[in-house]
Amino acid sequence: MSETAATATAASDDAEPTVVVEAVSKHYTVGSRVTALDGVSLTLPTGSYTAIMGPSGSGKSSLLNLIGGLDTPSSGHVAVDGKPVSTASEDERAAIRGTDIGFVFQTFNLMPRLTAVENVALPLVFDGWSRTERLDRATDRLEAVGLANRTDHVPSELSGGQRQRVAIARALAPDPALILADEPTGNVDTDTGATVLDIFDELHAAGNTILLVTHERHVAERADQIVHITDGEIGSIEATGEA
Amino acid sequence: MDGREGLRIAVRSVRAHKLRSALTVVGIVIGIASVITFATFGASVQAEIIGDIGDSNAGNIYVFGTPSDDEGFDRVLQPVFTEADLAAISEIDGVTAVLPRGSIQVSSIRAGNQTLARSQVTATTPESITTGSIVAGRSFTSGEREVVVNERLATGFSKNLTAGSTLTLRYPDGEERPVTVTGVVNGTRGELPVSNFARQPRLFAPVDPFYEAVVESPSAGVRQRAYPQVTVVTDPRQTAETRKAIEDYLADDADARQLSASDTELVARSGSDFIDEISDVIERITRFVTGIGVISLVVGAIGIANVMLVSVTERTREIGIMKAVGARNRDIMSIFVIEAALLGTLGSLLGVPLGLLVGRGAAAYADVTFALAPDWIALAVGVGVVVGIVAGLYPAWRAARIDPIDALRHE
Repeated sequence: MSETAATATAASDDAEPTVVVEAVSKHYTVGSRVTALDGVSLTLPTGSYTAIMGPSGSGKSSLLNLIGGLDTPSSGHVAVDGKPVSTASEDERAAIRGTDIGFVFQTFNLMPRLTAVENVALPLVFDGWSRTERLDRATDRLEAVGLANRTDHVPSELSGGQRQRVAIARALAPDPALILADEPTGNVDTDTGATVLDIFDELHAAGNTILLVTHERHVAERADQIVHITDGEIGSIEATGEA
Repeated sequence: MDGREGLRIAVRSVRAHKLRSALTVVGIVIGIASVITFATFGASVQAEIIGDIGDSNAGNIYVFGTPSDDEGFDRVLQPVFTEADLAAISEIDGVTAVLPRGSIQVSSIRAGNQTLARSQVTATTPESITTGSIVAGRSFTSGEREVVVNERLATGFSKNLTAGSTLTLRYPDGEERPVTVTGVVNGTRGELPVSNFARQPRLFAPVDPFYEAVVESPSAGVRQRAYPQVTVVTDPRQTAETRKAIEDYLADDADARQLSASDTELVARSGSDFIDEISDVIERITRFVTGIGVISLVVGAIGIANVMLVSVTERTREIGIMKAVGARNRDIMSIFVIEAALLGTLGSLLGVPLGLLVGRGAAAYADVTFALAPDWIALAVGVGVVVGIVAGLYPAWRAARIDPIDALRHE
C-alpha cells in the first residue's frame, strides 16, 4: 500500500486523476422516465479522499455504481485509472471491478459460506491467482485490518465491525486504484464506525484514493472534500479543513 | 477462475443444503440405477441363453416348415418330413445324424395316483439321448414301451421318478397305456434352441411304437411316419456347405415340399441363426425397457434444474457480490453448471452400484448368470454427468444474467 506515496491533498493537475467523470447522465424507465444523474462531472485526483453527501434519491448511489463499473451511464464518460469504464464491455467492466476497484458496502456483502480469508481472496479468484498466492495475499490484508486471528471464521461467527473489516480487507486484496465505500459505517455502532473510519484514514495516509458515500456529516468530514449531490446534480464541492 | 475453485464452491453449496441435494440426487440415482439394472439384466439373460444354446449345438441344423409370412413358431408345424426325406438327408455329405422330432398328444401323465396334466411328450430316436445328457438310468429302446423323462418331470411327483418307475399315459381318446421310465435326462440332442427355456416337464419316447403320424410318401409311394421337425447334426467344419445341400434338397426333391402348402417355406436354420434372432429380440426388449429407465433419468434432470433455479434465487445476493468483486458472467455460469454437474455425477456414482446390485438380484431371481454390460455402465455415468450439466445450463444462464446492482439490493 505504500508504493503510491502520494500525499493526502495531492491534487496536482499534471498527474492523471484516478477518477474522471464527464457530463454523466443516467436515466431509468420505471413506468415513467426518471433522471438519476443529470450531467455530472467530477474528477478525483490520485490519493484524494472524497465524500459524497446527499439525501436519499439524490443520485449518489447511482454515481457510485457508475464509477464502480456496476452500471453504465445513459450518456457521458467515466474513466477509472485511465480505463474507460463507461464504454467497456461487460467482461471488461467485471475485470475492472475485480482489479482496479475495491468495494466496501454498508451491509458488508460477504459470502456467507466462505471463511474470512476466502472472502478476502475472492476478487483474486476471478483474476486468476493461484490458491496459495491469493490466500497469502488475503492473510496479509486481514493482518493489516487487525484480523489475523479470525482468518478461518465464517462471517456469521464475526461481529459487525469485524465483518466490515473483512470487507475492507477484501477491497484491498487486489491493490485497487480506487476504494469505493457506500455508507461503510451505516450498519455498525458508533465505536465500531469510528474504528472503520480510522482504517480509512490510514488507507488515505498510505496514498489510496477513496470515494465514500454517506449521509452523516461527521463521516463526510473525515474526507478532503465533500461533494453535495441533490436531484442528480452536483450542488457544491466543499473542501474540509485539514484536521 | 479455475475449475477447482468452482468445484470447491459447488461442494460447499451442496454440503450447505444436504437434504435438498440428497433428494435431488435420488432422482438421478433412480434413473441411472434403473438403466443399469435393465441393461445388465438384459445382458445376463442374453448371455445365459446364448450359453444355453451353446457350442455343442453349433453343428446343428434345424429343419422345419414355416409359413412364409410368419417368422415365429406360433402355428402348429405340420408333419411333412417323411422317413424317405430323413433317409435322403442322411445321405448328404457332412451329415452325421438325422434326428426326427414329433410330438405325441397326451392329455395327462399319471404316476401312482398322482396325475400331471399338460406335459409335453416328444417322439424321437434313441440317438437323441446322448450319454452326456443322462442323469440316471439309460436311454429308451426303439420298439419298446420305454420313455425317458427330464429332471423337471422326474421331480414333479411326490415320489421322484427313477429308472424302472412306471407311468400311465392317458391319450385324448381316453385310452390309457403304461410305460416304463428307463432314465432321467437333462436335455436331448437336437432340441430346438428355444425349447430349452421353458423348463417344463418333458417326456421323450421312441418313435416306434409311440409316434403315429403317417402320410403317404410321394417318392416311396407307401405310407410312412412323417415329422414336423428334423434336426440334422452335421460335421461342424462343413456346416455351411451341408446346410446349402439340405436347402437344395428341400427346395426340389423332398417329400416335404410336395406335402406342404405352397406358402410354407421349408427352412434349414443353424444354431447361430437362433442365437442371432434371440439376441436381437432380447436386445430390443432391453432397449425398450432401458428406455423406460431413461424416462426416470429425465425426471431426475428436471429435479436438478428445479433445485438449481431455487438455488440461483436464494443466492442472488452472492451472485451480486461475486460480480462486484470481478466475476464475469461466464464465471457465474460455470459455478452453477459445475454444481449441477456435481449433483449429476453424485447421482451416477451412487446409481451405478445400486443398479448393479439390483441387476444382480434380478439375475439371481431369474436364475441366470449375472453378466455386466460395461458399455451401458459407462454410458449411464456419462449420461448422469451430461444430464446434470444440461439441467444446470438454464439456471446457470439465469444466474449469469442477474444484474449486480439488483442482486446486491436483494434480501
